[in-house]
Amino acid sequence: MEVEDLGHHISRRFNEDLERVRNAVLSMGGLVEEQLERAIKALSEGDSQLGLKVAEDDVKVNRMEVRIDEECSRILATRAPTAGDLRLVIAIIKTITDLERIGDEAEKIGVLAARLASVERPPTNYRELRNLARHVKLMVHGSLNAFARLDTKGALEVVKADNAVDEEYESIYRQSITLMTEDSRAITRVLDMIWMGRALERIGDHAKNICEYVIFMVHGRDVRHIGLKNIEDEVEQGARRVESRS
Amino acid sequence: MTLPSRWTSQIAALAALLMAALFFGWWFGGTGWWVAGATLLYLAFTLRHLYWLDRALDGHRRVPLFETRGLWAEIFARVEKLRAKARNRKKKYHRLLREVRESTGALSDGGIILNADHEIMWFNPAAARLLGLSQATDIGNRLDNLLRHPDFVTYLKAPAGDGITVASPRREGAWLHVQIIPYGTDQRLAIVRDVTNEKNVERTRRDFVANASHELRSPLTVISGYLEALRDTDDVPETWRTPVAEMQRQADRMARILRDLIELSRLESSDAAAARDFVDVGSLLKQIVRELGEPSGPKVELAVTTDAALLGKESELYSIFHNLVHNAVRFTPPSGRVEVVWRAAGGAAVFEVVDTGIGIPEEQIPRVTERFYRVDPGRSRASGGTGLGLAIVKHALQRHEGELTIVSREGEGSTFSCKFPKDRVVFRSDAARAVL
Repeated sequence: MEVEDLGHHISRRFNEDLERVRNAVLSMGGLVEEQLERAIKALSEGDSQLGLKVAEDDVKVNRMEVRIDEECSRILATRAPTAGDLRLVIAIIKTITDLERIGDEAEKIGVLAARLASVERPPTNYRELRNLARHVKLMVHGSLNAFARLDTKGALEVVKADNAVDEEYESIYRQSITLMTEDSRAITRVLDMIWMGRALERIGDHAKNICEYVIFMVHGRDVRHIGLKNIEDEVEQGARRVESRS
Repeated sequence: MTLPSRWTSQIAALAALLMAALFFGWWFGGTGWWVAGATLLYLAFTLRHLYWLDRALDGHRRVPLFETRGLWAEIFARVEKLRAKARNRKKKYHRLLREVRESTGALSDGGIILNADHEIMWFNPAAARLLGLSQATDIGNRLDNLLRHPDFVTYLKAPAGDGITVASPRREGAWLHVQIIPYGTDQRLAIVRDVTNEKNVERTRRDFVANASHELRSPLTVISGYLEALRDTDDVPETWRTPVAEMQRQADRMARILRDLIELSRLESSDAAAARDFVDVGSLLKQIVRELGEPSGPKVELAVTTDAALLGKESELYSIFHNLVHNAVRFTPPSGRVEVVWRAAGGAAVFEVVDTGIGIPEEQIPRVTERFYRVDPGRSRASGGTGLGLAIVKHALQRHEGELTIVSREGEGSTFSCKFPKDRVVFRSDAARAVL
């Protein structure tokens, strides 16, 4: 049941198709990472132009999603893949949905950053948000690396990191409530901060989803909604199966 | 044909053996048995050696031999010699390989060997460190799947120029410079270098220049203002009139230098390509020629042979055109001629300034776009130059993906041409045709 080697196929063309669409997912991932990076830069540097540019560029991400989606439908229709190949195509279709959503959240962050750029900045220059953003960025990076390397251990690391990100978001949320009760003039800004934290937290969830698809793709086990402990067990068992085979 | 002695002696031995068998057969009778016996004896002897030869080829060292000379002894000696040679060669390659590995391991720059599909074939420890690659998982993986920055992916597909600088995927705030060098039939070598320090130093320098220029501007405005007031009052003694006028001139020049420095640092700090606003080059050039053509100077002629417009940033294009025409006017004697040309070249468009001025010595042409580089310092300053004009032209042009070509001959004149790429040029006649 494992994907041990994606490189062997009777039909060379089929192989090339799969490889090409896999690479397309990763370049879409690269674009999304870049979007996120720029959105965060817009926040930390208070660059409203950059923020709006990010929002504008989201169409590129959307366009890529549509293209990859079409390619996947074509592969399903013409090649009727089975087993590992089928899982690869399914995982790709799901992954690009999550990537597209990450793009949407980055767009949201860009717009919010542009709005925050024109109001007074707190003395910390949104340190908590920037910290959260850094962790989320690492998660997205890790999930795409896991996808590229078919690395379930790396995927597991990202899934684990999601809890910390959720906690960080919680703490920003609580802190924001305090800020709002202290100073009612800051409410609009603090609300925007909460929205941004929320967007970042959602990106973390999407990165986690991508990692779950990686585990599904490699070990053939659906690990959604089963809890971290069970995911760990599945990954370990899967790794052992791969080992015993080789 | 002469046989080697080892063969003649072997054949002689065989012949002697058979002769002896025949002799004994004749003496004792039963010749056939004797000959058969001798042949079997020889066969056993040969088989035994073949057995040991086989063992020797398998790597067995000690071979029991009956003789120290003759055919078999020599064959074994030669086998041993070949094996020793192979052993030595292997040792040598091992050593060489170890040295290569150690030296590439000691390199601070990362090296990655890619095949035609951008798949990683090999990389050194520095590359692993800089890019976070791992030997276990990444050999055979595509480099652009791991280093996914869109600019890098584009560069990898069509490497041009001297590489690309991208943010490090591993370390926040770090920058990597990657250069792809094709070699062999379809292999490529990617060199990865950490340029964080260079980048920081560059930024510090740029910020410093920008800040210093801004800071200097306000006091200078005050000085200029008072000088202007002084010039206009009659209270100034006659002896001070000339110095005040000179001070005013120098203050103006300083203001110009600061303006150019600020302009230059702005151009340098915005890495993105220039905006794509519609700019009517024809009328822009008309305006510039009107501003710069003076009756006391050389004759300035405008030759616009195309209706092409540019998609770019008007203020920067103005800087390019103004600086080039201004330079031409400054370095051309009043009897000379300056021609300003705007023409189509295929789908692209070319802006050209041709003068009959003093020209530039050939060896200095590559340096004229450097900041504050002056071919003839005295003359340049006297004619009101800041030494930054061409540097501004170069940077502004880069932001429009344009190319600057300088052709010059000392004493005869210079030609500066700026070629703008197709996708920045709009031909209005085409546009009109498309609408109609």
